[in-house]
Amino acid sequence: MVLDLQGLTKHFGGVRAVDGIDLHVARSEILGLIGPNGSGKSTIINLICGLFPLTAGRVVFDGADISNQPTHARVTLGIARTFQNIRLFGQLTVWQNLWVAQNSGEQRNQNFFWRWLGGSRGAREEIDRTLELFGLSHKRDELAGNLAFGEQRRLEFARALSAKPTLLLLDEPAAGMNAEEIDELDIRIRNLRRDGITVLLIEHHVELVMSVADRIAVLNFGQKIAEGTPIAVQADPEVRAAYLGTAAAA
Amino acid sequence: MDFYLGLLQIIGVHTILGLSAYCVLLTGQVSLAQAGFFAIGAYVAGMLTVLAQWPVIPALGASAVVAGAIACAVGFPALRVKGLMLVVATIAFGEAVRLFFFNFTYQVQAGHLMLGPHGAEGFRQIRYFPEHGWTTLDVMLFIWAVVALVMAAIWWLDRSRAGAVLRAVGEDEFAAQSSGINITAVKVSAMTIGGVIAGIGGGIFAHYTTHIEHVQFGVVLATFAVAYPILGGLSSVFGTLLAVIFIQGFLIEGLRFMGDWRNLLFGALIVLAMNVRPRGLLDAGTVLALKRLIVSRKD
Repeated sequence: MVLDLQGLTKHFGGVRAVDGIDLHVARSEILGLIGPNGSGKSTIINLICGLFPLTAGRVVFDGADISNQPTHARVTLGIARTFQNIRLFGQLTVWQNLWVAQNSGEQRNQNFFWRWLGGSRGAREEIDRTLELFGLSHKRDELAGNLAFGEQRRLEFARALSAKPTLLLLDEPAAGMNAEEIDELDIRIRNLRRDGITVLLIEHHVELVMSVADRIAVLNFGQKIAEGTPIAVQADPEVRAAYLGTAAAA
Repeated sequence: MDFYLGLLQIIGVHTILGLSAYCVLLTGQVSLAQAGFFAIGAYVAGMLTVLAQWPVIPALGASAVVAGAIACAVGFPALRVKGLMLVVATIAFGEAVRLFFFNFTYQVQAGHLMLGPHGAEGFRQIRYFPEHGWTTLDVMLFIWAVVALVMAAIWWLDRSRAGAVLRAVGEDEFAAQSSGINITAVKVSAMTIGGVIAGIGGGIFAHYTTHIEHVQFGVVLATFAVAYPILGGLSSVFGTLLAVIFIQGFLIEGLRFMGDWRNLLFGALIVLAMNVRPRGLLDAGTVLALKRLIVSRKD
């Protein structure tokens, strides 16, 4: 098991944003996390990343309790993410955005000067390869802030992969994309499994989740109301109630 | 002639001071502690050449080390706070340093003279340059050699991975952390580099003025230090140099003929400059345009 959330709880004042969630993600699995707005999906990702402290519960990654690790240490352990509202380094070039994210894997083992001042040839070639893979090679010297929306989404995805994750957290990667771009994203997410990367996918675009996810967990008001295969979850009356309102379920 | 050499000296020293704030600003932190590090550098270097008879270059090295170490120590607690709170915290530090030197007396008898810092009276007779026969021109050239060295070092740092990381932290701390960057370590490093540079600048300042006192290192100097890189723009070290020339060369010296009206115009012109060029005198767009111009000339 790669990720094991045990009784994960986060209260903001009186708001129970995440309320005692238990969730397991197996290696190379793609787990979809869905739920209405405000059900606590993004908060779960922020808690896994350690952007704010837990109220209760534990985050266990690769068998080790990482609940008290700072965010950057979790990244070097192998947890990378994308953001719901894109957060690139807009005043850096496309190439630099990936350069900055090379903090794990073999890059981490280089000596101090190579790591911070030069960057080995291997590291540079890797960036070029990633840009090629994401169709951004021709934009490598462009400022990230000047890219088109779809390109920005791709660059953020590429930046997350530059951190060499074993677990990738995708927070609504399809938001604002057109059908063609979503098809492309579908393939990219499937390819991650081939590379042995585990994925936790938050997405409102139901077709995409149903298509790529091995399992789906459904949240409502900070609690898990259903979990299972896409087909089972779709048929679940409680899920239908959460999305369509209780009257529809009755 | 001496007037212009003196002006060049001032511009050189203030460029070093501005560059020390530039490093910290890259990480998005506004530090008003730079005048404090500058003061520490000035007193350390002055005491070493006057009281310990050190040559000037090792003395500058020592002031860089001391100011850098203090900046590193100040960085840890200070960088826990952000934005305006950091401004207030760093002002407090700068004033504490100033008041320390206001009260600091350590004098040694040398013939009929008393040498060393003397509290409110200041530290007089830092006469390494005249005693060793340096002319004003020599001193000016020495200052600009150091300026060139510091600018080259930061220019190169800016283009390394470390420079990209500094800017990434300055742009979005959340995204930087989530890319595996230890933002505390990065900010403290930037503060330390800024301290080292301010220490060198202070050491030079003490030697070319030959007389330093606490009032010179107050909030006004600290404000100037951050104003240079902000006015000049953070896309390149040359922006800071340009801003120092604009402020020291044009606004302060160039407008001296206007008498008391100068101070009024001074503020107005800075506001005007910031309105016309909100991202600094030398912003990313200008740098790009200049690069294209040079490339097209070559063709």
